[in-house]
Amino acid sequence: MLNSSKNAFWEALVMAVFVFSFGILLGFLLENSRTLKISDMYEQSNLDLLDVRIQNDIFSLSDVDCGILALENTKFADRIYGEAKLLDKYEISNKVSDSISLQHKKYDLMRALLWVNSIKLREKCNSSVHDAVYLYDYNNPSLEAKAKQNVFSKMLGEVKSDVGGNVILIPLSGDNGIFSVSLLMNLYGVSEQDLPVILIDEKVKITGVVGKDEILKYLQ
Amino acid sequence: MFVSLYMLFFFLILYLKNKNRMFDVPKPIKEYTVSIVVPCYNEEKSILETVKSILASDYEGLKKVIVVDDCSADNSYNVVKQFAKQEGRVLVVRTPQNLGRAASAKNYGAKFADTDLIGFSDADSFLEKTAIRKCLGYFNDKTVAGVTCSVLVKNQNKFIEKLQAMEYSIIAWTRKLLGYVDGIWAMPGPLALYRIEIFREIKGFDEHNLTEDIEIVWKIINKGYKVEMCLPAKVYSIAPSKFLYWFKQRIRWDIGGIQCLNKYRGNWTSKLGYFIIPFFALSMFLGLFGTAFFVFMAVRRIIQTFFYTEYSFAAGTALLSADDFYFSATVLNLFGIVLFLLGLFFTVFALRMIKEPELKGFRNIFNLLFYMIVYLTLYPMLLLFAIGKMIKYKIQGKRIGWGTK
Repeated sequence: MLNSSKNAFWEALVMAVFVFSFGILLGFLLENSRTLKISDMYEQSNLDLLDVRIQNDIFSLSDVDCGILALENTKFADRIYGEAKLLDKYEISNKVSDSISLQHKKYDLMRALLWVNSIKLREKCNSSVHDAVYLYDYNNPSLEAKAKQNVFSKMLGEVKSDVGGNVILIPLSGDNGIFSVSLLMNLYGVSEQDLPVILIDEKVKITGVVGKDEILKYLQ
Repeated sequence: MFVSLYMLFFFLILYLKNKNRMFDVPKPIKEYTVSIVVPCYNEEKSILETVKSILASDYEGLKKVIVVDDCSADNSYNVVKQFAKQEGRVLVVRTPQNLGRAASAKNYGAKFADTDLIGFSDADSFLEKTAIRKCLGYFNDKTVAGVTCSVLVKNQNKFIEKLQAMEYSIIAWTRKLLGYVDGIWAMPGPLALYRIEIFREIKGFDEHNLTEDIEIVWKIINKGYKVEMCLPAKVYSIAPSKFLYWFKQRIRWDIGGIQCLNKYRGNWTSKLGYFIIPFFALSMFLGLFGTAFFVFMAVRRIIQTFFYTEYSFAAGTALLSADDFYFSATVLNLFGIVLFLLGLFFTVFALRMIKEPELKGFRNIFNLLFYMIVYLTLYPMLLLFAIGKMIKYKIQGKRIGWGTK
């Protein structure tokens, strides 16, 4: 064997390590760019949330049209629902870095605030807009739970298309270690063992798979 | 992924370092006398063509073609006996009883050889007339115990044959490259030449191994000798035309490989431990690990799809929506694509260099993609069947036979 051929062992190793590291670096860059995109969207949504909350505060000070407040709240909810779907996709495709999970937590907090806001709004305004909070198992769902969550998620998407502005959809991870979410869950009788759960207007708790029509019935 | 990337670069570097020597045919410093042994069992249809292809060799030092009939049930023996009457260089012998393995028949035939070199060819293989001559120059190096050549597929009509034709060409190409790091780990049955005194010193083929053409190379290297490969020397073999035959052949190869690894497992410190044993062991480990992972993921997906379908029907939701077609690439997807493209480049390049006309042209694009995506992905799974068969036979206390045709 020639010495030059013998060197092929470590030369190939150096090349493979170089290319592999380069690939990992590219992966980091790709995933970071996605996280940045989510982060930008979050910043924008955070401003909107602030706006919605200030609108509520103004309502308590003076006589503002409840319909406008409800409409703004729904618009905001619809937007972050769309962002949640994108966040989910990015989260599934993130393999190298974990930065996006922090964004998920931030969005969970934002959605918890939205939920509280929606409760307050319904109490104050006697609004006809329903909320459907979808609490799911984020960290370690079983295969069956995952399948059930996929069906819940798809069904709620279809319900939203049918009902439109009459319902606010709030997907929220129920086991993300956020104390305020746990408090809300306790308040409405949902435990982590129940997940996934659909909670309609904080009154109806759905844990098993039901037909779309049944959900629609509660939202009429 | 990293190991695949490493192997691709390894072959690329070996090629770049040796590209001017790949097709070298060293000139022999002496005229070696050669005998070729052809084991034969029920090969009446092809045996004469094989013998004639050997006799057509342009090498004048070819002294004897020894056909060993392992008590065939068909007319093989008489066909060759009749032919031997017209051709003095052909000797046909019959084993005292059916020995049942090519290794045994080859060892039996080797007793009748008295030349400098002894070669072996399968009864369904056909030599190019320059094949023997081109291999001889490698024996100038006294430490070279054996020389192998490019084994290619003769029958390239059916889909399964075309896939094997590609595979054989790639094997020939990579085997030549491995030769530059003393990494040749097999000298396939269709044509292999050995220095007879070393063949006798190592006591020929191991008759207990299902792949005696692998085992003998390990034995040679373990003794401190070398094997070489002559890429331009070509021999054409009949590849299995039916899936079942192909499957049985590959199971036999895998079992033979495991037997070799088991036999030489304590030889990590010898020359075998330098490349061949780690290469084999790692390939098997990755093959098994990859298969286990693949099966695990497939079962998970099936279970999840089952639940998902059941719940979807119960909820009355659509099974698929536009969202399901949204694809966000992961870094692993990107790695996979890069690796696939590099592998494709390597395969196409090797096929072009081997210059088999049947493998050229656009009509083979589908075959090539199928080979790369399906064949190479599912191939490691055969190892599980091989291990299963070994365990089954061990429990039953039976001896594993050839199990091909």
